Amino acid sequence: MTLNDAQAQKTYTISDICGNGNERRRLLDMGFTPETKVDVLTRAPLGGTVLVSLRNFTVALREDAAALVVLKGRV
Amino acid sequence: MALKVALTGNPNVGKTSLYNRVTRSFEHVGNWHGVTVGSIEKTVVYEGKTVTVTDLPGMYSLSVYSFEEGIARDRVLEGSDDVVVNICEVNNLVRNMYLTLQLAELGAPLVVVVNMMDELKKQGKVLDASRIEKELGVRVIPMSAKYKTDSDTFMSEVCSFADSEKAKPILPYLKQLPLAKVESIISENLRRSGLKKDWACLKVLENDEFVKEKLDLSKAQNEELKKLGDYSGRVAQLRYEYIDYLTEGAIKDDPKGDKKHKSEGGLSSVDRFVLNKYLALPLFLLLMAAIFVVTFGFLGKWLSDLLELFISNCIGGPLTAWLSHAGAPKWVVALIGDGIINGVGGILVFLPQVVLLFFFLALLEDSGYISRVAFMTDGLFRKIGLSGRSVFTMLMGFGCSATALLTARGLEDENTRKKTVLLTPFMSCSARLPVYTAIAGAFFLNGRPLIVFAMYVLGAAVAIVIAAIMEHSGSRLKSGKLSFIMEMPPYRMPTFERVFQIIANNAKVYIIRVGTVIFAFNVIIWLLSNFSLTKGFVSDGSGSILQTVAGLIAPCFAPLGFGNWRAVTSLLSGLVAKEIVISSISSLGGPEAIFMEEYAGAAAVAFMTFTLLYTPCIATLGAMRKEIGLKYMFFGLFLQLGVAYVISLLVYWSGVLLIMFKPPVWGIVLVCVGSILVATLMIAVRRLVSGGCRSCGKCGRDCAKRKNK
Repeated sequence: MTLNDAQAQKTYTISDICGNGNERRRLLDMGFTPETKVDVLTRAPLGGTVLVSLRNFTVALREDAAALVVLKGRV
Repeated sequence: MALKVALTGNPNVGKTSLYNRVTRSFEHVGNWHGVTVGSIEKTVVYEGKTVTVTDLPGMYSLSVYSFEEGIARDRVLEGSDDVVVNICEVNNLVRNMYLTLQLAELGAPLVVVVNMMDELKKQGKVLDASRIEKELGVRVIPMSAKYKTDSDTFMSEVCSFADSEKAKPILPYLKQLPLAKVESIISENLRRSGLKKDWACLKVLENDEFVKEKLDLSKAQNEELKKLGDYSGRVAQLRYEYIDYLTEGAIKDDPKGDKKHKSEGGLSSVDRFVLNKYLALPLFLLLMAAIFVVTFGFLGKWLSDLLELFISNCIGGPLTAWLSHAGAPKWVVALIGDGIINGVGGILVFLPQVVLLFFFLALLEDSGYISRVAFMTDGLFRKIGLSGRSVFTMLMGFGCSATALLTARGLEDENTRKKTVLLTPFMSCSARLPVYTAIAGAFFLNGRPLIVFAMYVLGAAVAIVIAAIMEHSGSRLKSGKLSFIMEMPPYRMPTFERVFQIIANNAKVYIIRVGTVIFAFNVIIWLLSNFSLTKGFVSDGSGSILQTVAGLIAPCFAPLGFGNWRAVTSLLSGLVAKEIVISSISSLGGPEAIFMEEYAGAAAVAFMTFTLLYTPCIATLGAMRKEIGLKYMFFGLFLQLGVAYVISLLVYWSGVLLIMFKPPVWGIVLVCVGSILVATLMIAVRRLVSGGCRSCGKCGRDCAKRKNK
């Protein structure tokens, strides 16, 4: 499953970041590394964008970026 | 030789705040990511030493993602600075230190500043900086850029560091990577490229496009590198593991401090409300309406009226009376009375409202709310080919179009950026406000706030509609694949000092603007409109130089209801600065003298609409040229003129029809409600017919399959 399938207000563990372009690089640099825990906070009122928190900061990802974040499962 | 110090760090850690503190500057700051988009520098003398401080745009990593990050990376790679200061924010130390490690890998002369220590103290915690300093082998300075004493400490630490022996940072994780193997494969290219050896090898393992391009690797080399395996994720993971080790236990509860822990995990209680699915958008609109009411309604209006009374009773009246008494020539009295007091003074009275508006915009920025707006509107903006981040630029556009355009640089997608720059001038900037207020005041006493508000809404609506047309008409400006990765800042309260600064700074800028450009232009326009080439001073303007010249273009505007030379003159002079539209109208006899035709009210509204939509000013055109190039600047210029003409035409003739037939109010309401209902019904019917989704292939979901199920 990816971040797009994740439920709001639940915590997940990242298993991998797929893709191989700039987006993947940026996600890794921002701390979306394997084994990191992410809290899925909420989705945007108009849809499409998801708000997550990890490593003590909060970041918004669009569907296409969120689709690159592969999750292991709920914590 | 001046000591060169560069300030680097993640976005929104307070680089520019520290820069402003150290160099006593007033560069734009705000509580969102990517405020600074270019490098700025200033030389100061600190205890007898000359220090050149450079503020760089924020970057998350040396592998860059957007344009402004590239500026920061190039500067650091250049290696021309004596000290590279890496500013980290204590609340976000782990993520911030990711860049610290990269700068250490590069071997930059590195000093780490841990900023916002005051926020940590409030949480009742302490930072063990010496532990990180010892383990990493890099100087660490904890501080708060808020306090002046801390910025002095910072300067003395930086100066002493520049003179000291630089230790090598300790980066044990590098041993776990096959750097030697990479080096053996690309040793020849390394020598040619002039890049730092160890660092370039590491970047090659990370698959960094920029470094690989610089190295100019052959196909065979790439193949060989591929055999080593994919390390791009591994490198990031190793760095974060090391940071976790470095920072573990570095932030502790202060045994002496009071225990006030922030609730951890989940949405903050404010965000639960602000980002609520149903409340978010109404709340935003309500907030904007409140800002509008306070700025243009009671508070701002009241202050403006006060200032107006003061100018006319304490300066204007006595001055002209004294002048005529002293026997000054008639034209001098008229120039000072009409041209300067009425024209320039008429603009100066808007000072409280403009300052209030900038103040509220700064509050939106500083509190962190503006990033929430970007998040919640992203879904809507994406549909029209813009990004949630365009919201920053567009909201800033309510202040000043020219400076707002610079903030578009943070947008990653080229076409989205172009569109944002092209459309932001449609947002009604503060310079246009005096035009609406004065004209609406002359024609619609009771309806004034409503008309001014309608102008703001119209500007935003036009921008959105044009964006949608550009996106869906198959034009070249269709947005590319957008990735929206935006950090959300924590909410912050602006300090009292900052509030004072915003007000003082904006008031200063406004007064200087009125006192120089607008003043000079008003005098020129007054002279040109009151002197004829043949007859000298003409008090009624007939036969004046301007009447002759502007009279030539005036017929073009006849279909819009204001085809007279006075209106055209003010529109032309408005290209210098939009306030001049109204200051020249005042010195040419006031709104009543300009809109005299049968349907004066309709012409006045059409004129306001034209002012709202046509090219804002030369400064904005200059900013457009800088941001999107000459070709698109001209495109923007003609787009704005064309849109302004067409919409003003529609407004004028609707107005004329309204006046002619005088339909009752309920009739207008009925038509509006009816058309909204019909539109909603049409959308609903289309959805029903196509089964909820039109299987257009645009969204990537396979609708055809879903239907077959």
